[in-house]
Amino acid sequence: MDKSYRDLFFAESQEYLRETNKALVQLEKNPNDDEAINTIFRLMHTLKGMAATMRYDDLADLAHALEDVFDGFRRKRLKLTSAVMDVIFESADAFATLTEQIKEDKGVSLKVTDYIKRIKNILPAGETISHQSLKKTSKGKVETGDEVDRLKKLVDKNNNLFSVEMVFNEACSMKGVRAFLVLNRAKDFGQIAGVTPSEDDLKNENFELNFKFVILTDKNEKFVTEELSRILEVDEAKVSVYDPEPSKGKKGANPMLKKIQSMRIPVERLDKIMNLMGELSIAKSRLVQIVQTKDHARLEETTHFLERLVASLQEEALKLRLLPVSFVLDNFPRLIRDLSKKIGKSVDLEISGSEIELDRIILDEVGDPLIHLIRNAIDHGIESPQERTRAGKNPKGKIAIDVSRQKGHIVVEVSDNGKGMDFEKILHQGQERGIISIDETSGIDSDKVLDVLTAPGFSTAKEITDVSGRGVGLDIVRNKLEVIGGRLELESQKGKGTTFILTLPLTLAIIKAMMVVMGKDIYAIPLMNIRETVKVSEDEIKPIKDAEVIRLRDEIIPIVRLGKELEIETTPSEDGQISVVIVEGRVKNMGLVVDKVIGEQDVVVKPLGSFVKKVKGVAGATILGDGRVVLILDIVNVK
Amino acid sequence: MEGKRVLIIDDALFMRNLIKDIVIKAGFEVCGEAANALEGVEQYRDLKPDLVTLDIVMPKMEEMDGITAVKQITGEDPAANIIIVSALAERRLVEESLTCGAKDFVVKPFTAEKLLEVIAKVLGEGTKES
Repeated sequence: MDKSYRDLFFAESQEYLRETNKALVQLEKNPNDDEAINTIFRLMHTLKGMAATMRYDDLADLAHALEDVFDGFRRKRLKLTSAVMDVIFESADAFATLTEQIKEDKGVSLKVTDYIKRIKNILPAGETISHQSLKKTSKGKVETGDEVDRLKKLVDKNNNLFSVEMVFNEACSMKGVRAFLVLNRAKDFGQIAGVTPSEDDLKNENFELNFKFVILTDKNEKFVTEELSRILEVDEAKVSVYDPEPSKGKKGANPMLKKIQSMRIPVERLDKIMNLMGELSIAKSRLVQIVQTKDHARLEETTHFLERLVASLQEEALKLRLLPVSFVLDNFPRLIRDLSKKIGKSVDLEISGSEIELDRIILDEVGDPLIHLIRNAIDHGIESPQERTRAGKNPKGKIAIDVSRQKGHIVVEVSDNGKGMDFEKILHQGQERGIISIDETSGIDSDKVLDVLTAPGFSTAKEITDVSGRGVGLDIVRNKLEVIGGRLELESQKGKGTTFILTLPLTLAIIKAMMVVMGKDIYAIPLMNIRETVKVSEDEIKPIKDAEVIRLRDEIIPIVRLGKELEIETTPSEDGQISVVIVEGRVKNMGLVVDKVIGEQDVVVKPLGSFVKKVKGVAGATILGDGRVVLILDIVNVK
Repeated sequence: MEGKRVLIIDDALFMRNLIKDIVIKAGFEVCGEAANALEGVEQYRDLKPDLVTLDIVMPKMEEMDGITAVKQITGEDPAANIIIVSALAERRLVEESLTCGAKDFVVKPFTAEKLLEVIAKVLGEGTKES
């Protein structure tokens, strides 16, 4: 099977599974939700067809079984109990796992028959839809296999056996009938077997645009190809000599394909880009003209025009990479249901702003941190129903995920109305473990608490988990966010609940950065990390032990002489004033001493080649308008 | 294609006119028009056209509807070039008529190009075989 179909299959089935899970959760809330039932029925039906097309028989069978169950619901022959629901949820998961296993091509360990058996068991006795239809397909398959075998035996010098793959035009209407017509035509000059998907599925349009069959004919390959290509709406008829063991398609080069590899792009976005490209070519021809006439005034005008165009084109091109956050969040109702059910808590999820779009790479990266936070909220944030009742709260807890756009960033807030954190206790623990020093505990602020919580290994310690109300992996969460240029913040009120605030860049490809000069070179510091820039005189920098600090308002900020740190030669400024960029670092704020601050600019982030990838303190590079290469500093890891 | 004779069987005047315009512009001759299946079958017998367009959903006329008309015509003339005109919902009917010997089909709404494409294919095949 063509690789692009394979990719499409996985992309699409992932999408359908997400929809399925969403509808399942709805259904569990309201077992009479006919719309959800119909949706899932339709999704399973589609998945079945797709899987069969790809010859993923296990998947097709599983989808088929589930389709039967939902058909039972539709016809009110089957009652939706929580036990039934559990089986369905498990099967849906099995489907997802199996899909993943097939996709990764490392062998399938999941036994579909176990799940199908369980599904069959929930169908009431005497209810035979499932049994029958399942049997029919499996029997059908055996038969077609036999048919192919039979034809194989008939191959001689006059008769050839070909495998044929037909691909229809996308605009093809009534493709089921079209397929039927193709088979009819083929039967005019040969014997047919091994139709995949089955003829029934073809008739019911349970296939994408292609299907396959094997034909025994006294005609040659050319004749068959021509004859079948002549049929209306046929894009391609691929005819080849039948090979009993078809190579199973090229294995995907990248085994870690859990990421969003392909995406759908709204046509209007492509249209916009096409329009801009059109205008761009107009501008180009104008320039050519101007070169001939040397008309300076028009050159200026055209340059402005071009500038605007390129900016819009860049903006549109970036939008191509955007996906709504719902792509990730849609999985969460299901996740929360499972987690809370497992530990006997009752939790509602409220999501707002899931239509907001994010760069797909960021979306990929942010999924895990969000799951961590939610897991923590359920495990440690939300109290047990009894505890909640005692505290005068609604026994049902609430987790809210709120996505919003704020000044060129996307902010995701994950909040729970659980027991909140005891900041004092956490800071105390942090101090005992030497994560923060004593004087730092004097003022309680959430950033310090977060520093303690995200200190490597801290939050995984059991005794502290109980105190903090927070569990595993907050350090991982914070790290992940910082890798993609994001930030983690914390708000919590004892007894009321906790909110984690994730600030994310809109895209990884373009960032706002502060351009600074050091020595002969310009460097870019991501604006996201910068709090402010100040000018101080040399004597405001005070040595403390082996470090240097400045006092800014009431805050003591350690100074990093960036030139020294990165081993670059610097030129001291003439007026004795020193430019300091105050950045929010990993654990504390820092003042970076630079030669000169130029100003803000949008820069396109280009990754460094692999041979210089791990240079400490450098996150990437960008190219300025004049062709100069500028390094982008990785503030988090500069010191 | 020039001068090939077409019989149009459709109960809707609108569709008959539409098809007529399309095929005449393309150089065909419309030798007959029928507003129901029964009339269509009779005209086929009399006119022996090169091609028939037949709306598969037509009201019954003395037990004769679209499908029976297809059966009747192909029964009498197995080489008949019948193109089924159908709406999207009539999958089963189209399938059945193809089984009964209709050559191809076109789905409403169709463009002039699409109809002519189907006609060309069907007539192309007819001449090749003969």
